[in-house]
Amino acid sequence: MLLVIIIVAGVVVRGKVLPKSFGQYGHYRGDAIFDEMQRPIRNGTNASCLVCHPYIREMHLSGVHHTVSCEFCHGPVADHVKDGKVIAKLPKKQGKEIKRLCLRCHNQIIRARPKESIKMISMPQHLEEKHVRTDHICNQCHNVHAPLMWVKQARAMVGVEEDSK
Amino acid sequence: MKEIEREISQDRRTFIKKVLGGSIAGSLLLVIPAGAMDLSRIPEQIPGMRQEEGPFIQGKKFAFIVDITRCIGCGSCCVADKNEYKVPDGNYRTWVERYIIDDHDNVYVDSPNGGLDGYQEPRQDLPYPVRDTFFVPKLCNMCEHPSCVQVCPVGATFQTKDGFVLIDSKRCVGCGYCVQACPYSVRFINPETRTADKCTWCYHRVRKGLLPACVNVCPVQARKFGDLNDHESEVYKILHQPHVISVLKPDMGNKPSLHYVGLRREVV
Repeated sequence: MLLVIIIVAGVVVRGKVLPKSFGQYGHYRGDAIFDEMQRPIRNGTNASCLVCHPYIREMHLSGVHHTVSCEFCHGPVADHVKDGKVIAKLPKKQGKEIKRLCLRCHNQIIRARPKESIKMISMPQHLEEKHVRTDHICNQCHNVHAPLMWVKQARAMVGVEEDSK
Repeated sequence: MKEIEREISQDRRTFIKKVLGGSIAGSLLLVIPAGAMDLSRIPEQIPGMRQEEGPFIQGKKFAFIVDITRCIGCGSCCVADKNEYKVPDGNYRTWVERYIIDDHDNVYVDSPNGGLDGYQEPRQDLPYPVRDTFFVPKLCNMCEHPSCVQVCPVGATFQTKDGFVLIDSKRCVGCGYCVQACPYSVRFINPETRTADKCTWCYHRVRKGLLPACVNVCPVQARKFGDLNDHESEVYKILHQPHVISVLKPDMGNKPSLHYVGLRREVV
């Protein structure tokens, strides 16, 4: 008799304590799947940025940096647009920060960049080779969206053939 | 003549009606707020996902592949991941490790700030010249036999029928058994929620047809995500053609769905 009471009490308490959807699909709360599904998306894609920035779009997609994510440098789109309205400006990297950002990928000294994938340079040797001051920031010669755009334009203007490097 | 006039005036009426209707509808469009993220403006990266309504993804088997031979260690993935989840400082849902091998075959592994700031400096504390360096991104292995699920005493961590291992933060009591059980150390106790947390392969993005945040930002396609049931997908082709492929710690028997291309002896 006592055993029956204990079992019944156990079942009742278990029913009260466990959340409704527990055990629906397995030993977990079934609604947790939907909770996870509803997590807000904070990063968009490059397409979601470039749809509103046609000028940048043209530049960014024309150059070798077309695979670089907008949000890597500028931050997630959710901090910029909410409910279809611009809520804040995303930061633009300036000065030394730009150089640091460039060297995250292009720094030869790290010695771990697969050679065929991207161009690598050493600092300050690269600046010395190009005969510019060693405190130059990368974006003084390279457009960050299309790194070779200005270089190519300058070469075309003075009629210099593209050098092998 | 009169007939023509009548026709014009009738036309005018319908014309005005249409213009009014159009402008009202247009102005309403401006007023009605769009969702938090206007998904309709972002093209679907995984076709067919936005039609899926049920609790489980039908007919797809997702796999994640990391190509070590391509990774340049820029840390884009880590930045995207931190932004997506606002991961508290000092915790990492995904991170990038740097392996350095010197000419005496000593192996050094480091991951300053999880690779979040990239790798700007060479290591200075090494006695012998460096022979080789490479990067290994780490994230949840989404095991077919997850040990974390097995040890959870309250059913807060679970495996969905479509293969994702997720955490129910409302149910988690923060006991940390799963953190101990994971052979890949991808789990941590989130100091803000005091519950277990880990990479979910961006389940919420995948369900809305977007690639995981880290895959989406990788500039050299070192991270790949796709459907193994689609025989045209890149992941299927990589896993079914001659490549150097392996998983981490195969002897643990967890059967990870995360595969590495070019995985090396030093890492396994």
